[in-house]
Amino acid sequence: MTTQDTDPTAEFRKNQSWLYDSKAGGYVRKTAIGLLTLLIGSFILFPLYWMVVTAFKTTSEIQQIPPTVFPNDFSFEGFRLVIESSIQAGGYAGVVQNLFGVTVTSAIDINLLGLVLSSLKVAVGAGVIAVVLGTGASYVLSRRDFRGKNLLMSLLLASLMFPGTAIMVPEWELISYLGLFNTHLALVLIYGAMTAPFVVWLMKGFFDDFPDSILEASRIDQCTPFETFWYVLVPMARNSLIASFIFAFLLAWNELVFALTLLDNSKFTVPPGLLTFVQGFNTQWNVVAAASIIVSIPVLAGLAYIQRYFVQGLTGGAIKG
Amino acid sequence: MSYVDHAQSSYENVARHVPESLRVYLPILPVMTLVGVFILYPIAQAIYSSFFTKSLLQPDQAEFVGLANYVEIWTDPDIHQVLWNTAIWVTVGSLVAIVLGFLMGWLLDEKLPYTSVASAIVLIPWVLPRVVGASIWQFMFGGSQGIINELLVQIGIVDEYIVMLGSTELSLWPPIIGMIWRLAPLFALLTLTSLQGIDEHLYEAARMDGATPWEQFRYITIPMMKYNLAIGFLLMLIYNVRNFSMVWVMTKGGPGVSSSTLPVMIYRSAFVDFEVGFASALSVMLFVVLLVFSYYYIQFYDKVQGEMS
Repeated sequence: MTTQDTDPTAEFRKNQSWLYDSKAGGYVRKTAIGLLTLLIGSFILFPLYWMVVTAFKTTSEIQQIPPTVFPNDFSFEGFRLVIESSIQAGGYAGVVQNLFGVTVTSAIDINLLGLVLSSLKVAVGAGVIAVVLGTGASYVLSRRDFRGKNLLMSLLLASLMFPGTAIMVPEWELISYLGLFNTHLALVLIYGAMTAPFVVWLMKGFFDDFPDSILEASRIDQCTPFETFWYVLVPMARNSLIASFIFAFLLAWNELVFALTLLDNSKFTVPPGLLTFVQGFNTQWNVVAAASIIVSIPVLAGLAYIQRYFVQGLTGGAIKG
Repeated sequence: MSYVDHAQSSYENVARHVPESLRVYLPILPVMTLVGVFILYPIAQAIYSSFFTKSLLQPDQAEFVGLANYVEIWTDPDIHQVLWNTAIWVTVGSLVAIVLGFLMGWLLDEKLPYTSVASAIVLIPWVLPRVVGASIWQFMFGGSQGIINELLVQIGIVDEYIVMLGSTELSLWPPIIGMIWRLAPLFALLTLTSLQGIDEHLYEAARMDGATPWEQFRYITIPMMKYNLAIGFLLMLIYNVRNFSMVWVMTKGGPGVSSSTLPVMIYRSAFVDFEVGFASALSVMLFVVLLVFSYYYIQFYDKVQGEMS
C-alpha cells in the first residue's frame, strides 16, 4: 500500500487551482513567495546595510552624488574619529599619551564613551529597580486574593500607556522639586517606574503558571515563605527575571524624551547625545553611523539572548514604546 | 545571617506594625509608590494644570482659567494640521505596518531553515535605539546625499533630487515610513507566534472536508488568530499615536507644523513656547484617546488570557 495514493490531501489538491495542482503552479507560487520575501526583506534590511556601509566610507565618498552602494575606499575613519574624540573629550588623552606614546587630538566633539557609561548606569539601575520591586509585587498579585487587586493591576497597566511627552512637564517640575534635576538618579527612578509595571505583568504570568506542588513540597520541608521565594522560586524564574531585566534595560537604553529634558549635555545618555551630534552643524554621517553601530551592540546582544522570551513578554501586556 | 534571613527579619519587623489584613499589600507598596510618584502623580498633575495658564518660566504665577485652555485648542491655528497629521499617522502607519507585518510573519512561518535566526534579524529595527533608527532614515531621505532620491531617480519616478524633509507637502511621509519600518517587525512576531500556536490538525481536518486554501485561511487561521491580531492592532495604534522620536529626530515636526503630531505639538508648546497649561490640555486630549485604546486592549488581553487557560 502506498501512502501517496491514499493521501486525502493530495486527492483534494487535484481539484484545487492550478497553483497547487501543477508543477508550473508550484514554481509560480515559489517565485511569488521569493519575490515577496526579497521585497520585504530589503525594506527591513536595507537601512541597516546602509548604516553599516556608511560607517566604512570616507567623508568625501559620502558627499559624492550619486551615492555609492558599496564603499570604494573601505575606511575606518568613522570609527577612528569616534574613538579618538571619546578619548579626548573623556579626558583620557594624557593617559593614552603616557601609555602608548600616541598623541590624540580630535576635531569633532562626541564623547561616546561617556554617553555609553551614563546610559549603562541608568539602564542597569532602572533594570535592577524594576526587577527587584516588580517581582515581589507580582508574586503577591499572582498568588493571593485581596481587595483592590483588579484596580491595582489596571492602574499598573494604564501607567504603561502614557507617552513620555504627555507627562513631561509635571515630571520636570517634580524632578526639580525633589532636587534631582540633571542627575542620573532621576532617570533611574523614572525608567524604573516606567518598566516596573511591565515586569509585574511578565512575572505574574510566570507565577500564575507555577505548579502548586513545588510550593507545597517546600512548605513540607519547613521553608519560610521567604526561603521558598528565594531558594525555590527565584532560581526557577531565572529566565523570566533575566528577560524582565533586559526589557527594562532596553527601554532605558533607548529612551529619548526624559533624558533630553531632564539632563544637560554633560550628563547626557546615548539617545540625546547622539541626537545633538546628528543635528550639529555639518553632520559627519560616517561618524554618526559608526557611533550608532557601537551603541547598538549591547542592544543586539540583549536581543539575541532574550529572543525567545520576546513573544511571551509581548502578549504579556508589553506596552512599552 | 544570610541575605534571606536578613530580608525576612526586616520584613517581619515592618510587618509587626501592620494589621494582619493589610500585610498582603506590603510587597506591592514599593512598586505602587514608585509608579504612583513618577507616573500616576504626573498624570494627575497634568490634568490639574490643564485648568490653569502657567508659563514654565514663571511657574508661581498660575492663574485658574477653567476650560479656557481646551477652548484655545480648537482655535489654535495649527491644531487642524496636527490632528490631521496624527490621524494619518495612526491610520496609514498602522495599516501598512499591519499588512506588511502580517506578510512577514506568514513568510517566517513557512518553516524554512533559519526561521529563528531570521525572526531575530527582522526584530532589529524594533529594538535598535530609536534615535539610531530615526537617524538612518533621516540620512537616507536627506536631500543632497540621500540614497532614496537616487533610487527614485533610477526607477524613474522623479527626474532630479527633491528636498523631502524640508518640504511642507512631503515632510510628513518620511517619518511614517521610518515608523512602519520600526513597527512591522513587531506585528510580524505577533503573527508568527499566533500562527505557530494553531493546531496543525485543524488544517488536516479542513483539508479532509475539502476546504480550499482560501477557506482554510478564512475559517481557521483568521478566527484562531483574532485576539492576538486585535492586540497587535491596538499596539500599533498606541505606538503610532504616541510616537515622538521618529518625527523629532527626522524633521522636528517641521517645516512649520507640516509633520507635527500631537506629542510633538505638546513638547513644542511646553518646552519651546513654555505654555504649560495649553500643553497639559493637549496631553489630556491625548490621554483620552489612549484610554479608549487601552480599554479595548485590556479587554482583548483578558479574552486572550481566558481562551488560553
